[in-house]
Amino acid sequence: MWDKQNKWNLVILAVIVILIVGSIFFLWMKANVEVRDIVEEQYLSEQLVLTQYLSSSIEDMLNENVLLLEVISKKESGVPEDNFISDFKTIYEISDIYHALEFVDKNGTVVSGYPAERVPYGYNLYENNRSYSIDYVRDTGQIYISEPTMMMEEMLGFFVFVPVFENGVYQGSVVGIVVADNVVDQFEVSDDSIKLAYVIDDDGLILYDQSGFYEKGSSYFEYVGDSESSRLEIIDRQISGLEGNGKYPNTLSEEHVKNMLISYSSIDWYNHQWSVALVSPEDEVDKIIVSVYIKLFTVAALSVLFILFVSFQVYFMLMHWNRSLEKEVEKKTHELQNSNESLVAANLKLKELDRLKTEFVSMVSHELKTPLTAMKTSSEFLREDTCDPAVRAQMLDIIIRSVDRQTRMVDDLLDISRIESNKMRYNMADISLQETVDHCLEDISALFGSKGIDIDLDIPDDLSLVYADRDRLIQVFVNLLGNAIKFTQEGGNVSISASEKGEFVEVRIKDNGPGMDEAQLEMIFDKFYQIDSTLTRKVGGSGLGLAITKGIIEGHGGSITVESTLGEGSEFILLLKRSITEK
Amino acid sequence: MDKEKISSLILAELEKNPDISNKELANSFSVDVNLIENILKSLSDTREKILLVDDEVDALAALKVALEADGYNVVEALDGLEALSMARSENPDVILLDIMMPDMDGFEVCKQLKSDAQLNMIPVIMLTAKGEVDDKVEGLEMGADDYVTKPFNLKELKARIKSVIRRNLL
Repeated sequence: MWDKQNKWNLVILAVIVILIVGSIFFLWMKANVEVRDIVEEQYLSEQLVLTQYLSSSIEDMLNENVLLLEVISKKESGVPEDNFISDFKTIYEISDIYHALEFVDKNGTVVSGYPAERVPYGYNLYENNRSYSIDYVRDTGQIYISEPTMMMEEMLGFFVFVPVFENGVYQGSVVGIVVADNVVDQFEVSDDSIKLAYVIDDDGLILYDQSGFYEKGSSYFEYVGDSESSRLEIIDRQISGLEGNGKYPNTLSEEHVKNMLISYSSIDWYNHQWSVALVSPEDEVDKIIVSVYIKLFTVAALSVLFILFVSFQVYFMLMHWNRSLEKEVEKKTHELQNSNESLVAANLKLKELDRLKTEFVSMVSHELKTPLTAMKTSSEFLREDTCDPAVRAQMLDIIIRSVDRQTRMVDDLLDISRIESNKMRYNMADISLQETVDHCLEDISALFGSKGIDIDLDIPDDLSLVYADRDRLIQVFVNLLGNAIKFTQEGGNVSISASEKGEFVEVRIKDNGPGMDEAQLEMIFDKFYQIDSTLTRKVGGSGLGLAITKGIIEGHGGSITVESTLGEGSEFILLLKRSITEK
Repeated sequence: MDKEKISSLILAELEKNPDISNKELANSFSVDVNLIENILKSLSDTREKILLVDDEVDALAALKVALEADGYNVVEALDGLEALSMARSENPDVILLDIMMPDMDGFEVCKQLKSDAQLNMIPVIMLTAKGEVDDKVEGLEMGADDYVTKPFNLKELKARIKSVIRRNLL
């Protein structure tokens, strides 16, 4: 079934399909990667903005809180009577980041503070070798913030030292203890808690960590291997106080290595420089893309479904339309076929009629010319010869017989013409069938007498009168009986019987002649039809007798039918209207 | 007994005994004396013989009388088969053949006559009520020697019969 040509076509088709599918897939992948890059870039810049906001917020908050201490330390009145306790109370209550506030006098001893339970009264910084900070602020007049220190409550804190001068003389320092956790906790770093924040100082020390991976106070470098160059680079940039975005593989995740997206920004706080970072896993970007894709696909799928639905509607509508059109065409075709068939049939019938007419004309011509020939021959002979009286009488007889014959022929032609054009006039009256048949038998007695044919008559005495034209009825019977006698062998039998059938009188004329087959039966009442073909008539006659008979009977409102068996004889059955006036 | 056979027997008997009477001949062949007379009459007939073939009795009778009055010996046949057998037995000088006849039409008779070696020399004049050219061509193709359309002029027919017979004698 598959020839070579088809095979090659199939191979070429397959290659084309693979190429198209491949290029579509390649373009799709490329577009996917590009989309991913763009989304990642957007994501990172958004994360950076968030980081910058966070860093500036923390920076502002820290500086504001330090400013509070600066404000109370710059009082005109110098150190107040209560050693700042009321001020400390106020600041403590409005600020969230201070763990405690203290005042250290010029001798380095803690003299007051708030809240009181967190204040180590009498603790002397000189005695405990922790005087660097107060010496620094006393000597420089600058605010100093200590390095992060683990405090007894397991908290990482900073000591903010603000010097207090009165008339240029150092009176002591206001110390604020800031807890690192408190600082960042002030901010909702991220609502989805996917972005995790950490803060390191410029030595890489971890000040704050939301993830819980890193221990506070430890160095960030402890968690980074030497091979993690991208991460080290990011930390270098953080320590240098730069801001930006980065990406590094997360080695801490045990399940599988996934890239982390990081944004970082610096915080400048007096002598400190920190860096805050927001970290989120890379698959966040994929999640966004996937969610976008899901929405896109949903829309696309819904669109496709809608288009399919509409298409199917249109398709079914067209199908329906098409089917109804087809039906219409089929119907029309059928009608055309029918009319064509009837035209063909009509044409055949017309041709047949035409043929019959031609045959009829030729036969009529023969029938009219034959007696003419005899007349002409006889009369020419009579004119030429002086012949003896016997021959003369014979010739004159021939002439008279021929004239009679031609007269009959012309009469028949006139009758058929009248019947065909419905111009036959009937002189209707109530007549006796018995009388009519008797009259008719008298007329043709010579015919059946010469052939020795018996006529059986069976007409009941009390038979109704029939309503008919007497002369035409005689013509009918002469014709039918004439035929019966003509077709019956010598010594044969012809019977006439009559009976009443409802409003009709039925007359049956039966012979035991040769009979007819079905094809002949169908045609015997047709005009111009003769049982034998025109050229080979055995019995003679115009071929109009039965057509005239049928025409007359039907003109009377009756009917004529025939039954026949080949070899056994024929029976003509006439139905004539019964007289309406009398039973 | 066959008419031709009887004819030859009668001739042989007459040769042996020229004075034999008709009655004696009839007795010797045990047939009717009238038949002997008829045969003798036809044997002694020297007129030209015309076979007239037509199914119409009146036409046949009129033409027969007319031609006999003109000195022809006329024999009749009412249909094709009879015509063929009479053509053999009577050996006519000319055949007048009607076309429209039952059972076997004039064309068929003519065809059979012309295909028979014994009969094809007999001239045939076709008679027909039809006047169409087609019939004429068909008739002549069948080997008919002439053609006359009904109703014909008696003089013309006689002239044609004479001309056909003369032509045949040449």
